[in-house]
Amino acid sequence: MEPGDKVWEVFVQKKAGLPFKHVGNVHAYDKKMALQNARDLYTRRGEGRELWVVPADAIVSVPLDEAAAFFDPADDKVYRHPTFYDIPASVGHM
Amino acid sequence: MKITIENSEAKFIVRLADTSVILGQRLAEMCSKGPTLEEDIALSNISLDLFGRADELYKIVAKLDGDKFTPDDYVFRRNEREYYNIKLVEQPNEDFAYVIVRQFLHDVYAKEAFTQLLNSENKELAGLSEKVLKEIRYSYIHCKDWINRLGLGTEESHKRTQSAVDHLMKYVEELFNFDALDKKYFVDCEKLKATWNTEVDTVLSESNLKRNAVAPLSMRDFRDGFHSEHIGHLLSIMQYLPRAYPDAKW
Repeated sequence: MEPGDKVWEVFVQKKAGLPFKHVGNVHAYDKKMALQNARDLYTRRGEGRELWVVPADAIVSVPLDEAAAFFDPADDKVYRHPTFYDIPASVGHM
Repeated sequence: MKITIENSEAKFIVRLADTSVILGQRLAEMCSKGPTLEEDIALSNISLDLFGRADELYKIVAKLDGDKFTPDDYVFRRNEREYYNIKLVEQPNEDFAYVIVRQFLHDVYAKEAFTQLLNSENKELAGLSEKVLKEIRYSYIHCKDWINRLGLGTEESHKRTQSAVDHLMKYVEELFNFDALDKKYFVDCEKLKATWNTEVDTVLSESNLKRNAVAPLSMRDFRDGFHSEHIGHLLSIMQYLPRAYPDAKW
């Protein structure tokens, strides 16, 4: 697109109370256009009842070259999963 | 087969149906030609809403008139002079500003028209009006925002939008030359006109666009099946397939 447009990430909420889910992105020049474009691309088949659009450059993400430092240390720490405890039957589903 | 419409309420509703289908066809011509992928989909969505609206309206027309014809008959087997759409909606897609201004001028009219029809004694029409008003409000917001952007945007966008307004306003006068059918089925014709003028003037002035004086057109009224030169070309494309292959199914 022309200079001046931005990429906006789109989040859709399916029902009241449910979390918003990321569904993709749109190009737009301003907030209103971003919302309308998101509505037309992502909610025309009853996918949602509320929409968020967020400028992609407002999202802070982990630099790709640091992904190993951020995430790999979690790989060998099985003890962090609470699977070693016996759960009393009376607790039911946790 | 000659398509006739006898019932007076059907004659009134077919004007709304024809206006919807012709505008839907004009917007469908924009499919794959939108300025951006997102706007292309937005225009196609509005087009589909208009076709859906027309289909429902033709069903009501058919029912009022004894179910002699189907919506397809009305759309594909009538000639220019048997169409009763407002001339505004048959004007071609000169550029994006024309598309948006035409849609906006139509939506302001349709919004008030269907608001009044919420009170119709015809329950199907009243129910349909409630549904289509949501679609119209969305299309209205979409176009109003675009008129703001184009009017307040660059010198070029302002010039093109002003020229679309100047041209398309010529086709507006006839909307308000109400006849007996309008007076019978709209709740308040004068309010339709007043609301239209107020809303259009507000949006134009906030977008730095002028409503210049328009010389009266010497064209006869859409209510009698009169058109501008463009309807024939539109119909020939829209009706080609079912006219060439009357048994075609899809």
